[in-house]
Amino acid sequence: MSVVRDPSIRRKAKLWDRLYPYVSVLIPVSIIALFTIYPVLYALRISFYQYILTKPKDHPFVGLDNYIEVITSYYFRNSLLNTAIYTTVAVTCITLFGLGVALLLNSKLKTANALKVIILLPWAIPAVVGGLIWKWILNSDFGILNGILYALGIIDQYIPFLANPNLAKVSLILAAIWKEGPLAVIFFLSGLQLIPNELYEAARIDGGSSWKIFRHITLPLLKPILLIVIIYETITAILVFDLIYVMTGGGPGDSTSMISWFAYAEIFKNLNLGHGVALAVIIALMILALILAYLRIIRYEENVGYS
Amino acid sequence: MGLPLRKRLSSAVGNTLIILLIVYILAPFLWMIIASFQGENELLKRPPSIIPQNPTLDNYRYVFTGEIPTAYEVKGQLRSRISQEARLIAPALKNSFVVSIVVMVINLLIGTPAAYTFARLNLRGKALWYNFILGSRLMPLIAVAIPYYVIIKNLKLLDTYMGLVLIYCALTLPFTIWFLSLYIANIPREMEDAALVDGCTPFQALVKIAAPLMAPGLIAASAFAFMTSYNEFLFARLITQSIKSQTGPVIIASVAGNPDASYTLISVCITLGLIPPLILAITMRKWLTEGLSASITLR
Repeated sequence: MSVVRDPSIRRKAKLWDRLYPYVSVLIPVSIIALFTIYPVLYALRISFYQYILTKPKDHPFVGLDNYIEVITSYYFRNSLLNTAIYTTVAVTCITLFGLGVALLLNSKLKTANALKVIILLPWAIPAVVGGLIWKWILNSDFGILNGILYALGIIDQYIPFLANPNLAKVSLILAAIWKEGPLAVIFFLSGLQLIPNELYEAARIDGGSSWKIFRHITLPLLKPILLIVIIYETITAILVFDLIYVMTGGGPGDSTSMISWFAYAEIFKNLNLGHGVALAVIIALMILALILAYLRIIRYEENVGYS
Repeated sequence: MGLPLRKRLSSAVGNTLIILLIVYILAPFLWMIIASFQGENELLKRPPSIIPQNPTLDNYRYVFTGEIPTAYEVKGQLRSRISQEARLIAPALKNSFVVSIVVMVINLLIGTPAAYTFARLNLRGKALWYNFILGSRLMPLIAVAIPYYVIIKNLKLLDTYMGLVLIYCALTLPFTIWFLSLYIANIPREMEDAALVDGCTPFQALVKIAAPLMAPGLIAASAFAFMTSYNEFLFARLITQSIKSQTGPVIIASVAGNPDASYTLISVCITLGLIPPLILAITMRKWLTEGLSASITLR
């Protein structure tokens, strides 16, 4: 390393050294701030005005009317109920899938390595594309699933998976497990690999059955990861949009209209920006409550070594 | 042979389960690829043939050259009109690729120094900046979709690469910075300290000493930034208007959204769109898995 002798250059270097930490942080912070502070304030403002896109010149202040109209509407109750059902079932299935597959992968089975190679593939592709693939597999006229079930004699006529309100929900969940499950698997697997082998060996010597070992050693030690997976998947499920956009479009009827889809439809189909944004603010508050729980769990500020 | 029956039985059940899972994960991809090599008529049979009887490259030829596959001439009528949009997939994937690469490079260029600063250097309000960066990512995107559109419109960046790049940087930088700062905090700092004593600037210490040590972290962070940008749909749908900037997911959704579109061409679009993320997911598997594991277990 060369030592700079000229004192004026040195002074300059010192100033730059002092400024450097701020510059390095403020560049990304300014990009992020542009897409955080302004949008949030803008959204909040719009939610108090009547903003109908077919009336571009007329935006009276309406106070909380947007919120009241949205909350008291049938579609809000319907989409909230749909979201609650979808979230409960999807999160339960994805968590059990993640845990189960991770336990399989953590065993010493020969086939486990092959599964490890491909498990991340569904996670790596666009959700829109994943949804389309499933939509087509489930197609009621030419879908391969119907074709296989028919050829095997399990069904005697093709099933309209996406045209039946209940089957459409099941189909969405099937696609969601395929798309989101792998991430849960990786999370659980990394948790399992942190558990020292000695613990298992000691338990086995003490004569514990597999179930008892799982119940009293594995599960308690996985608890932090279990919580993170559940909260992360809950947030993802509440915000589900891409899958619905391509697979069902909220239908048939409004049977798969979830809350994010409802907000999208208010803005882009009913062209009522005020309603859509008020709804988005409500969703944001719901998510915020979950995130506070999330933050309590990961407590990231302690983890980097400063407070 | 020597294993007790119960153990052999449980490993047989385990292996069967794993094979079923492999089918569940892979079958949708394989079916899409197989379908793209079939003729429309063959695909619309009941039931469709799982192994193509007359595999054909016609669909790909149409997408790349515009030569209409013979399978389309149903009763003398051409169905090409309705699927012409499928021919946009190649330029759309190019758009996706360019945007994602630029986002990835920007993440490395400005995300890495910020992460290094958070992990190693002192500045006033460090916790505040750090929490702001992380907190930003917790905002539900649907809530800010319209304001994002307004920002991009006011910057006159609608339907440009630059507009997408800006949004995707705002979406990916928080994860990159958080992830890399954890990564750096976990490598020993003695060598950098020695370099600083020798008169290195913090930036030189980062580039010359820390960067090589954190290469796996940098690779994982780059892959995440690339994939997030490549896969994003909502904003791409919102701020792109023409093939000048429309990305793969936008064109694929649009082709498939046409109720009359040909299924073979949709599967060609999907298959082509799958190539980059699948290659990435397989070649980068080790780093992606380690990165994801680190993001949940690093403390």
